[in-house]
Amino acid sequence: MKQTEHQRRGRCILYTLGLPLLSMTLTAAGLTAGERHSPRAIIDRVDQVLRGASSRGLATMRVVTRHWERSLTMEVWSLGSDYSLVRVLAPAKEAGTSTLKASRDIWNYLPKVDRTIKIPASMMMGSWMGSHFTNDDLVKESRLVEDYEIETTFEGTRENVKVWEFTLTPRPEAAVVWGKIDYRVRQRDFMPLQARYFDEEGELARTLTFSNFRRMGDRLVPARLDMQPHDKPGERTTVSYDELQFDLDIDKSFFSLRTLRRGR
Amino acid sequence: MTLPSWWLIGWRNLGRNPRRTFITALGLAAGYFAVIFMVGFADGLKVEMIDNGTGLMTGQIQIHSPGYRPDRSLYETIGGRAGADFEAVIRTAVRDPAVVAAAPRVYGAGLLSSGQSTRGGMLMGIDLDREPGVSRLMNSLSQGRAPAPAANELVIGTKMAGRLELKVGNEVILVAPAADGSMGNDLFRVCGLYRTGMADLDGAFALIPIRSLQRLLALDPGRIHEIALSTADPWLAPEAGRRLVAALAPLGVEMEVLDWTGLRPEMLEYALLMDSWYSIVVIIVFAIALFGVANTMLMSTFERRREFSVMLALGVRPHQILLTVVSEAAALGWISLALGVAVTFPLIAWWHHYPIDLSWIYGDLTMLGALIRPVLRIEYNLPVSAWTGLALLLTAVTAGLYPAARAAWLPPADTLSGQ
Repeated sequence: MKQTEHQRRGRCILYTLGLPLLSMTLTAAGLTAGERHSPRAIIDRVDQVLRGASSRGLATMRVVTRHWERSLTMEVWSLGSDYSLVRVLAPAKEAGTSTLKASRDIWNYLPKVDRTIKIPASMMMGSWMGSHFTNDDLVKESRLVEDYEIETTFEGTRENVKVWEFTLTPRPEAAVVWGKIDYRVRQRDFMPLQARYFDEEGELARTLTFSNFRRMGDRLVPARLDMQPHDKPGERTTVSYDELQFDLDIDKSFFSLRTLRRGR
Repeated sequence: MTLPSWWLIGWRNLGRNPRRTFITALGLAAGYFAVIFMVGFADGLKVEMIDNGTGLMTGQIQIHSPGYRPDRSLYETIGGRAGADFEAVIRTAVRDPAVVAAAPRVYGAGLLSSGQSTRGGMLMGIDLDREPGVSRLMNSLSQGRAPAPAANELVIGTKMAGRLELKVGNEVILVAPAADGSMGNDLFRVCGLYRTGMADLDGAFALIPIRSLQRLLALDPGRIHEIALSTADPWLAPEAGRRLVAALAPLGVEMEVLDWTGLRPEMLEYALLMDSWYSIVVIIVFAIALFGVANTMLMSTFERRREFSVMLALGVRPHQILLTVVSEAAALGWISLALGVAVTFPLIAWWHHYPIDLSWIYGDLTMLGALIRPVLRIEYNLPVSAWTGLALLLTAVTAGLYPAARAAWLPPADTLSGQ
């Protein structure tokens, strides 16, 4: 039947937020220059910089699609790369909707019906709240240096900024969805500027742009993330951080289904 | 009766060895039966496939917004700000003489969760009063009842129920991206289970009152994705579809009207393939019969070569001998045909009305995404029956030509002298 199309789309349901990207940047720590500049070391440091200890923040996610535009305000907690919790604060219709990520599992709490549902593995390529981030972005806890071969493809000035450009190709045994990732990193402070994701056919699938580098909490972070899917021109998801705190006194027990239902 | 004499001679010659005549005729009759049976069975499969393929869910004709297929975007609706009033479309459509009924439908992709487990599925919003006119979905309930209109109730397939460990009466959480960008979610109750036997359907589709689904998806009541139509006979659909395109044009909104041959082209292709296969079956069956009959006729003329020699010696012209033998073959053909028809049609009629249960050989099977019941469904195919009868007669006459020619040009003197 023609349901295959249906089912495929069924799988692409809006789910989960770009939690890893949120949590990644939340824990960004400033880097001192003078480190060894091997591609592996740089990417590992960017990767490490974007992960790490615990954090709490307030973010606004703006999603633009062909049919609608909307804005969500969220409170986000993270602990390392394994745990995160996102709670929608506004708009009122969706306030209280929460997502918990613990290791490889994702749960959603729906306040309207007061129920928690676990997102099945088959929905991992779906997106959250209609954003252009996928579940896979969320559960991906592997480190870039473990899954990818890294190669410097450019070193010099782009738009008056000294940068490195790295091409990350997956190791044969790595279970990753991308065929290639191009990363651009600012030399001055090791801030990521742009990541371009290519599918297995080598087609550019989406571009993630980092901007608005600000000191939040005690460290420098890209306070704005911009995701643009290339198969849907004109659509984008922008995440901006309004508030960030680091190294809070929270542990694993905070990231429980109980907290998910309670809100905090 | 003033039949030419060689006709009488040919006819009587068949009586010389009644057993041989009967056996030969039985061979041809069996060939006739084989063809009619095979074609009837193939037709039965074809009709079963098209009936179920269109009648179970698809309908014979569907109307969509032009951009709806194949991506089935939530936003591509009939109705809505720039769309046509779908009730007006339905009113226009049912005025067509071939269209029996019409029903609006809404679709959404979503998650169904029983709490313990969650799965993706297709949410199908149906008008409970009108849907039974176009599809048999709601007749396939194996447990429970149909949802109440506009209630938060749904019917799911037995396969989906098994996966989610849901029973009639349990609650289920539906989550689906809504048209306003929000994440629609609500509690529903399972009021019934359906079973069509098609894994694709039973494991994926949840049937929900159309208003309830529109609420979940934040769609106005005037916005629907599909109008499904049924026609009295699937083969009337293509013509009705063409008429509908013209009839709907005055509504001023572009719409896509597709009949099942366009929605399910593989079914049409299969039907056409079956039709072309019939002539091949006829050729194979009668080619085998041809040599059998020719052999028998050669034997019977060889036995009578002295008789033919005497006739020739007495002044009978060779072409008259030829006609005698060909007439004999033709008479044999008619007997065979009578025998074949007498045996075939009562059996075919019986099987047509009381299909044989084949579930001991195979269970429900699906072909090109259509359910085939495990029964020996035989359809009448009168044109094929007539053509096969003609082929049988031609076979008998053709088989008689060579023995007839042998008999007509016997050397009388040599034959009579025993050489």
